Amino acid sequence: MLKSLFRLRFFVGVYRWRLSLGILAFGASRAFEATVPLALAVGIDRVAAGNADVAGPVAVIFGAVLGRFAVVSVARYLVRTTGLNVAFDLRQSLYNALQHQGSGFFNRYTIGDMMTRAVADISLIQRLISMGTILLVILIYATVFGFGCMLYLSPSLTLLLLPPLPFIFLYARWSSHQMAVTSKDVQDRLSDLGGHVQENLSGIRTIQAMVQEENEIRRFGETNQAYADAFHRQARINSLMASWMPLLAAVCSVTILGYGGLLVLQGELTAGELTAFFYYVNMVVQPFRVAGFVISLFQRAAVASDRLFEVISLDPEIPDNPADTAPVTVKGDIEISGLSYSYPVEQRAQVLDNISLHIRPGESVSIMGRVGSGKSTLLKLIVRLLDPPRGSVKIDGHDIQDYPLSRLRSQVALVPQDPFLFGEPLGDNLTYDDPNRELDRIWDAATSADLKNTIEGFPEQLDTLVGERGVTLSGGQKQRATLARGLIRHAPVLILDDCFSSVDTETEEHILSELKRLRRGQTTVLVSHRVSTARHSDRIVMMDSGRIVEVGSHDELIARGGLYAELERIQREGADDSDYELAGAPS
Amino acid sequence: MAQAQQKPKNARDYSMFDAEISGAVLNLALLRRLLRWLKPYRVTFGISAILVILASTLQVLLPIIMSLVVIGHIIRGESGSITPDMGMVDLTDWMAANLSVHPLLAACLIYSVVYVGWAFVSHAHRMTLVTSVVKGLRDLRQDLFSHLETRPSSFYDRVAVGRVMTRVTNDIEALYELLRGIGTLIGEFVPFFVALTIMLSIDVPLTLILLLALPIMGSATYFFRRATRQLFRLVRMSLSSLNQNMQENLAGMQVVQLSDRQQHNLERYTGINEQNRGYEVKSARVETVYGAFTDSMVSIALGTIVWYGGGAVIQNQITLGEMILFTQFISMMFNPIVVLGEQTNVLFRAMASGERIFQALDWDEVIHEPETPVTLPERLKGELEFRQLNFGYDADVQILKNVTFTIQPGEKLAIVGPTGSGKSTLIRLLSRFYDFDDGQIYLDGMDLNRIHSRDLRKRIGVVLQDFHIFSGTIYDNIALGDPAITREMAALAARRVNADDFIRSLPNGYDTELSERGQNLSQGQRQLLAFARVLAADPEILVLDEATASIDTETELLIQDAMRTLTEGRTSILIAHRLQTIQEADRVLVLSHGEVIELGTHDELLANKGLYYTLHSLQFQETDADHADDTITDR
Repeated sequence: MLKSLFRLRFFVGVYRWRLSLGILAFGASRAFEATVPLALAVGIDRVAAGNADVAGPVAVIFGAVLGRFAVVSVARYLVRTTGLNVAFDLRQSLYNALQHQGSGFFNRYTIGDMMTRAVADISLIQRLISMGTILLVILIYATVFGFGCMLYLSPSLTLLLLPPLPFIFLYARWSSHQMAVTSKDVQDRLSDLGGHVQENLSGIRTIQAMVQEENEIRRFGETNQAYADAFHRQARINSLMASWMPLLAAVCSVTILGYGGLLVLQGELTAGELTAFFYYVNMVVQPFRVAGFVISLFQRAAVASDRLFEVISLDPEIPDNPADTAPVTVKGDIEISGLSYSYPVEQRAQVLDNISLHIRPGESVSIMGRVGSGKSTLLKLIVRLLDPPRGSVKIDGHDIQDYPLSRLRSQVALVPQDPFLFGEPLGDNLTYDDPNRELDRIWDAATSADLKNTIEGFPEQLDTLVGERGVTLSGGQKQRATLARGLIRHAPVLILDDCFSSVDTETEEHILSELKRLRRGQTTVLVSHRVSTARHSDRIVMMDSGRIVEVGSHDELIARGGLYAELERIQREGADDSDYELAGAPS
Repeated sequence: MAQAQQKPKNARDYSMFDAEISGAVLNLALLRRLLRWLKPYRVTFGISAILVILASTLQVLLPIIMSLVVIGHIIRGESGSITPDMGMVDLTDWMAANLSVHPLLAACLIYSVVYVGWAFVSHAHRMTLVTSVVKGLRDLRQDLFSHLETRPSSFYDRVAVGRVMTRVTNDIEALYELLRGIGTLIGEFVPFFVALTIMLSIDVPLTLILLLALPIMGSATYFFRRATRQLFRLVRMSLSSLNQNMQENLAGMQVVQLSDRQQHNLERYTGINEQNRGYEVKSARVETVYGAFTDSMVSIALGTIVWYGGGAVIQNQITLGEMILFTQFISMMFNPIVVLGEQTNVLFRAMASGERIFQALDWDEVIHEPETPVTLPERLKGELEFRQLNFGYDADVQILKNVTFTIQPGEKLAIVGPTGSGKSTLIRLLSRFYDFDDGQIYLDGMDLNRIHSRDLRKRIGVVLQDFHIFSGTIYDNIALGDPAITREMAALAARRVNADDFIRSLPNGYDTELSERGQNLSQGQRQLLAFARVLAADPEILVLDEATASIDTETELLIQDAMRTLTEGRTSILIAHRLQTIQEADRVLVLSHGEVIELGTHDELLANKGLYYTLHSLQFQETDADHADDTITDR
């Protein structure tokens, strides 16, 4: 546990002065606090002795109050802000670390997992520093000052108060564990309940059509009851604890009352000091009550710390340290030679097997092949979303590792298969790589991608917010938007990874002719499943099981009568019923 | 509402949800209404109220024993005649005399007994309170759910499921939270009043001086809460935009890297992160000052007691024991204010939630049922007649226009038409999901509006596009709670629609638990299961909205075969998307813009060269691409 927490030292170390000062201030505040009962005792004893002069003790009390007020505010503030600052820094590091991870990482971890680390784990560490430190410090100071004052007043009474303390600690730890268990149970039941309601309301039509309302209401009754039961159980545990804990502490009170009272009768203790004892015993019992909680704070933060550093300490997946001998702008000559690739984490067979392909500047190439034949992998290797072996991919004669990543990816624009848009205005999505683009260029690209009418259909045009909080775009609209995002860049090399799958044939024709016009003299590579898309390219590359099986123009490949010709025949003759609806829809 | 104006097409009427939440912290009418659910448990609730008074009295006895009995009486020999000691001094003396023990020991014994009694009684109080309220809230939640479950479809057309759902989950939950808070509040306030009574009977001026602290603390708490409510909201908002930014960045990481936006995005994230830290630090500043302030008040009060009380003791206005008793009551005086401050937000939320819950209970949209519904015969023939049916969801948009046609018993009718032509609406009216009054539908010559919707739906088996799987076993999903359907019958139905094979291949066969929304079944399997469900129920009329999603060829064949079994000898309406289905139907009805355009057999309609011919030929022109995602390389 300590080793895990020790990893936080660099993050906490930055704020060591702030934290130390806070801890010291806490000590001062506890000292002020401990003065109050002493002054109270003196005051009571003076009154008991018939002495009306209580101004001294009262002044001490008020002075201590002022002193404590000033010191404790500062102490809490310093410690809490330390926690906040550490959390801030951890978030920054995590965010930065994640931005340098690639597909290998995201295959291993889900986004949900990362969000848990960013939200829950960081907040656990923040709580450890803000709350755990305060409690730990209070615990130590309270013990020191509380016991110190008690020993000063009466050593024998103090010793008699010790035995119940371990039991208080043990009971507190046990019950905080119980509370954690029951509160998790309540949470689980609550999420069952939410699931049940969600499932029911979203299927309400079926339920009503099948006349299942009563059945479902009865079933909900069970879920509802289970939650009520869990809540009741939790309330019982909490209530028991609220009764037992003071009862254990009461052993101390009875001891003070009995033995302390006896000491007063024997003249060894004054009535005022007896009263003070009640305050001090509260002071020293409190830490034992929360010690279990503090321990669990440390334990959970240790786990959280491990989980965070697992990500933060990762090296970037794609190293970016080029020799920088490569040109600033490229002509678009891509040479792939003897490229084999298999995913490092998964024990899967080779995805690409000895691929050699030379794409000349200004050429348009279509890549076709079955699902899983390695098309997307090949494209990702060209822009180093995956890292190919050195020497196997060259652009303009330079190994792609010799280009700085940012330059490579600005010269070679890849439009990925998954049409992802950010929850931002549409315009910002189109200019994602460079927010300072001119309006004309945005509209030009939108027009080429056949997105102009769609945008003009929105009242807020380019400022239309897309995604969950805004307008939900159809699959085809999203695809055209990502296409526009690629076109806008006018990169020497444009790679389109299956970007027409949700676009109807007519629109596709339009976009393809636009492509032809815009990309004249520039290199364009596109993956497609439709022969109608591929046939216009200078060359068509057929892939199968990670190998290139055919290369040639449309006519050449038809003449050859191989895989491509077969595909062409199927697509020409094969009619699929599933487009019936689509065909009939008024558009 | 602004959003609704932006998207008139998907506009939902939220106004009926968010109307007039008054936002009052204390809404008495609301509380009165809530109490109705508590009524059945009023005895337990009443016992709880008695117990809390008892517990508070015991709690107050503890400092009395300490101050008045031990310090005042035993140590200082002060007389207990005028002090309000609740007979503790006399009890101690009596015990000491009768048991012949030292009075100190007697006092300790009484102290222990009172303590144990307090612990027990206060636990009993809390538990009776929780028991009665939890039962009441459980009933409220159940009533709310039943209410929502029986709202008609038209209601769910207009509302977002998520928003209705939160009434049952979050809003009721806020009341449970309130219960936690109220328990604490009662536990603090009742001892406060008991202690106050005793203090007033000892020394009025000192009590009043100490009470002065309450408005000071009260206003401090008020200002603190007001300052932090706003700050906490900002903290929450900035935190959620922080998380949202990260989540989205992770989801679009590939695009981020391809666009070389890492630096830019990090800067944006830093901005939000800094903003969040700023709010957090601000609220930390307010919180630490407030916390230190309330702690200080206790000590200030102590000083005041010694100052004023000391003089009073010297002048023999009060005894020393009484002065010490005052010091012991301090925390009992101040705690309620602090706790009240902590609970105001909960109270505030609970009130708003309460309003929303009752709003939901007041949504009284219903389907109109006939006053004297006709009794359906044991077995219907299954003849359906639509006569001059007009319908629109909104008054100004007509969906169905003068729809008239008849389906013979046992006939299979395929309905085709473009999206939005009114196909789904037609079958919704047939199941009486909506009230209609312009035109009629007759079932075996009976006006549909004279049949109770519940009776009607039992005779119409509907297979919708999105198959709803109920949580439970496969068998449960076929039988749907009908005790008349035995396991054998369910298995037979499954076998007849080709579902038996895959069911048997599941780990527990017919006892396999299905998860919510049936994620552990494939699309095709779910379709077959839906068929089995209908076949087992054996309705006279079948309505099938064919799935558009593509299914692998093998399963496709199974489904086609199962459909033949299902429609055998049953009046069937098929909203068809597949050519095969249309060809196997007896007749085809072509619907366009809510009107019946053509009606006849497949061959007749083709020969007509009308809309059906166009739809049919268009379909063959389209070539379909391989839509499958490249799953290997995509994460």
